[in-house]
Amino acid sequence: MASSAPVLEFPPPVPADVLAAHLYTPSRAEQLIVDVHDLRKVFVKRRSAPDASMWQRLALRAQRTDERVAVAGVSFGIAEGEIFGLLGPNGAGKTTTIRMLSTLLQPSAGRATINGYDLASQPDMVRRNLGAVLTGERSIYWKLSARENLEYFAALYHLPPAIARRRVAELLERLDLASRANDPVEGYSSGMKQRVAIAKALLANPPVVLLDEPTIGLDPQSARNLRELILEIKREGRTVLLTTHYMEEADLLCDRVGIIDLGKIIALDTPAALKRSIRQLDVMQLEVEAFDEALMPELEALPGVQQSAVRYRDDERVWSLALHSTDSRAVLPRAIALITAHSGRIRHMAVAEPSLEDVFIALTGKQLRD
Amino acid sequence: MPSTSLAQPTWRSYIRAALAIARKDTIVFFRYPANALFRVIEPIAWLTPMYFLGKSFAGSAGNTGFAAYTGTNDYMSFILLGAVLANYIAAVFWGMGYALKSEMDAGVLESNWMAPIPRALLLVGQTLASLAITTFNSAGMLLLGWLLFGFQVSGNALAAALILIPMLVALYGFGFAFAAIVLLMRDANTMVDVSNYLISMLAGSQFPVQVLPRLLLPLSLALPLTYGFDAIRALLLGVRPLLALHYEIAILIGFMAVMTPLGYFVFKRIERYCQMRGTLSMH
Amino acid sequence: MDTHIAEPWRAGRSLATELRAVLMIARKEWMIFRRYPSWVIALFIWPVLMPLAYIFTAQALGGPGGESLTRFQQLTGTRDYAAFIVLGSILWMWLNMTLWDVGMYLRNEQMHGTLESNWLCPTWRVSLILGGALTKLLVSVAFILISLLEFRVLLGVHLLAGNVGLALLALLLTIPIVHGIGIAFASLVLRFKEANAMVFLVRGIFMIFCGITFPVAVLPGWMQVIAAVLPLTYAIHAVRAALLANAGWAELSADLLVLGAYAIAAPLLGYILFGIVERGARRRGDLGQY
Ligand SMILES: Nc1ncnc2c1ncn2[C@@H]1O[C@H](COP(=O)(O)OP(=O)(O)OP(=O)(O)O)[C@@H](O)[C@H]1O
Ligand SMILES: [Mg+2]
Repeated sequence: MASSAPVLEFPPPVPADVLAAHLYTPSRAEQLIVDVHDLRKVFVKRRSAPDASMWQRLALRAQRTDERVAVAGVSFGIAEGEIFGLLGPNGAGKTTTIRMLSTLLQPSAGRATINGYDLASQPDMVRRNLGAVLTGERSIYWKLSARENLEYFAALYHLPPAIARRRVAELLERLDLASRANDPVEGYSSGMKQRVAIAKALLANPPVVLLDEPTIGLDPQSARNLRELILEIKREGRTVLLTTHYMEEADLLCDRVGIIDLGKIIALDTPAALKRSIRQLDVMQLEVEAFDEALMPELEALPGVQQSAVRYRDDERVWSLALHSTDSRAVLPRAIALITAHSGRIRHMAVAEPSLEDVFIALTGKQLRD
Repeated sequence: MPSTSLAQPTWRSYIRAALAIARKDTIVFFRYPANALFRVIEPIAWLTPMYFLGKSFAGSAGNTGFAAYTGTNDYMSFILLGAVLANYIAAVFWGMGYALKSEMDAGVLESNWMAPIPRALLLVGQTLASLAITTFNSAGMLLLGWLLFGFQVSGNALAAALILIPMLVALYGFGFAFAAIVLLMRDANTMVDVSNYLISMLAGSQFPVQVLPRLLLPLSLALPLTYGFDAIRALLLGVRPLLALHYEIAILIGFMAVMTPLGYFVFKRIERYCQMRGTLSMH
Repeated sequence: MDTHIAEPWRAGRSLATELRAVLMIARKEWMIFRRYPSWVIALFIWPVLMPLAYIFTAQALGGPGGESLTRFQQLTGTRDYAAFIVLGSILWMWLNMTLWDVGMYLRNEQMHGTLESNWLCPTWRVSLILGGALTKLLVSVAFILISLLEFRVLLGVHLLAGNVGLALLALLLTIPIVHGIGIAFASLVLRFKEANAMVFLVRGIFMIFCGITFPVAVLPGWMQVIAAVLPLTYAIHAVRAALLANAGWAELSADLLVLGAYAIAAPLLGYILFGIVERGARRRGDLGQY
């Protein structure tokens, strides 16, 4: 009976029209506060061992043997007041992109403007218009107090003293740091340190804020508060570019999301539209104990299955299985039969609304987190 | 409702930025008060043996052998002055060299490099802090030296201070280059330690360089610092200088004229390198 | 019947198992030591660099024609100030290395969290330290030999001219003394956790009072009293007298006697102190803290 099944390509190609619709093509008409054109970064790795001498490292004439393409040409535009998210797995190139935009890293090719200033030719103006939190709590001085940190960075951002004083007081108050403002930061909790870092980024009242994995390493409560804060930053009229590999976070916060994988943006739209694009698919989620990963090809070969992905979840000790198909009612019983026949125990299953994660799976055949 | 940046660069805001950097370094330094105290008393551990070494050569007429080399038999003031200047050398090697690196290791360097200021300004601010802290330490050390070993100078302190200026500018110019190079090194500790010791010694921080063996003497005479040590001692202690004073001063000014742009150039180059390779955040 | 295998804890402690433990610890320390390439510099460069400043200063103090050397000779019995300083500095650096290594050995393990796992082993505590010290001892011997060679070649200082046998005896007696000081020091570091400041303090005291670079005779009276209590003073005096003034039994017996007494007392006191600190740590439960 399986003979009537269509021959599936793996991974199934994303239909060209779907892809085109989701990829941003910059249009001159829009007012874009962040405008990125084909930005690339290729890291040239030296051949020699990490303990190569300093002089070898200084000789910029690199032995071009090992090139790593971290960002393979990304383009996107962010309209004023938007929260834009870059969502992608580890090593996708999110941090590299954001570090190029913050002038810390020289792009290999491409160009970008921030608030109208060109990244390459006006880096100083770009820096004036940016607030960024890249390394989270490590981006501030732990030996200084929150107030000392903010006063210090206010001077570095050219705030006149009177304005600086007012701004520091205001931010300490607003980010709920005022009560411990004069204690050294090293004694703060992670969440508080993160807030100091964000206050630092907001000091100069920048129109654009860059946040690299803002909630990573925070406990759920602090992460929730921080997301609330990010929405507040948006309400102030600022534009936010953030990266994350939590799809819930992207879904919740972002007006538009660019899905990035292997240094390329493979889809870009509002979270709703992205999910709608795969709505014709049924998304089945199964949690299986004692699953045999060797079964994956067989599951994928079931008629009607479009895409699948599996991930072992340490915390729950289950395999999380996602199956996309055009007809779950036909696929599900056969999938269950197959799994149980190989002594897998199904703990939970659901036919779910597609999430951004499913979009990612549909596009790449991988789970976002692994 | 578009927000506009509050940044209002003026020449004064650049000065404020440099001072803020200096202030931050000073605050961090004094957050470890034991460390600050330690810097003042640490030299006693090697100055005291020097003192008694001198005693074991002193005849009834004092240290005549030393006087035959230098023109003064006050060897302890000679060494203490050298120790003060060596403090500045150490400040450049350890303070300047390590300040950027430790900020990089702590992760906070990027925050500074994202600010709309020239990155070399960070080093200017650090230099100011380092000068202030080192001068403070040296004053403490000289006070102890006066109490314990009878440190005294006569002579033209103002002229000596004027000579110190080109020497320190040149030294810190070198510090720019050195700081940038240390940024690229994995374990720079030993290199910093050995070069600091060697340069201080060869410049004659503890003894008149005439005593150096024939192999080392040219190295010493090739160091402009040697003439700075010499000129300052000549002015304050009446030591017979190696060269006529105005030659020594000319050498120091030439040193400054070369070192400052060179330090800046190397720093810029390494800054570019870091921006290419993204080495700033690798820890 | 085979209770040794079924119930290893019944086997108890035998000298052989302890010895094996000591050797294994020494091996571990050696493997860690090899990882850090800067030891090469510590071994080859510092022994020469450290005394150089004093030697050149002594040269300056002696005067261009050596006119001030007579006073030095009266006090020390030799005109060879370079050899005089080198011998002192070798002994001092040896002590210094031991303070750092043995002192920091336990502290490092404490900071890395491995101290408690070592402590959990049914090994005699002393073995834990001896194992660490064994490696350091080998390194120290290498250090002394390399120093001697380097000074011979680079500075032309000839050190093995006098009564080498007696000098060697003095050095042998110094080994347990340095070890004992190291243990006492390690215990204090474990207790007070301020290694840097304490190394500075202890080595500074030895530097100033033991006549590392100058004859103790020039110290004022009260300082000489302190010098007379410190064992390193005798070691340095004996080694210098034997090698530089070719002193024999008659002149050195007093020094050697004192050294012998310290060779027994120092390790004993060191381990007693260590025992006290360890019991205290177990009572307070701060062994794993830092
Ligand atoms: N300085 C560098 N030198 C060489 N390769 C680098 C450098 N920085 C990043 N890379 C490489 O570039 C790729 C993209 O890295 P990037 O940090 O941008 O990923 P990411 O999307 O932020 O991932 P994560 O979720 O882990 O933060 C990775 O393969 C990484 O190893
Ligand atoms: Mg990242």
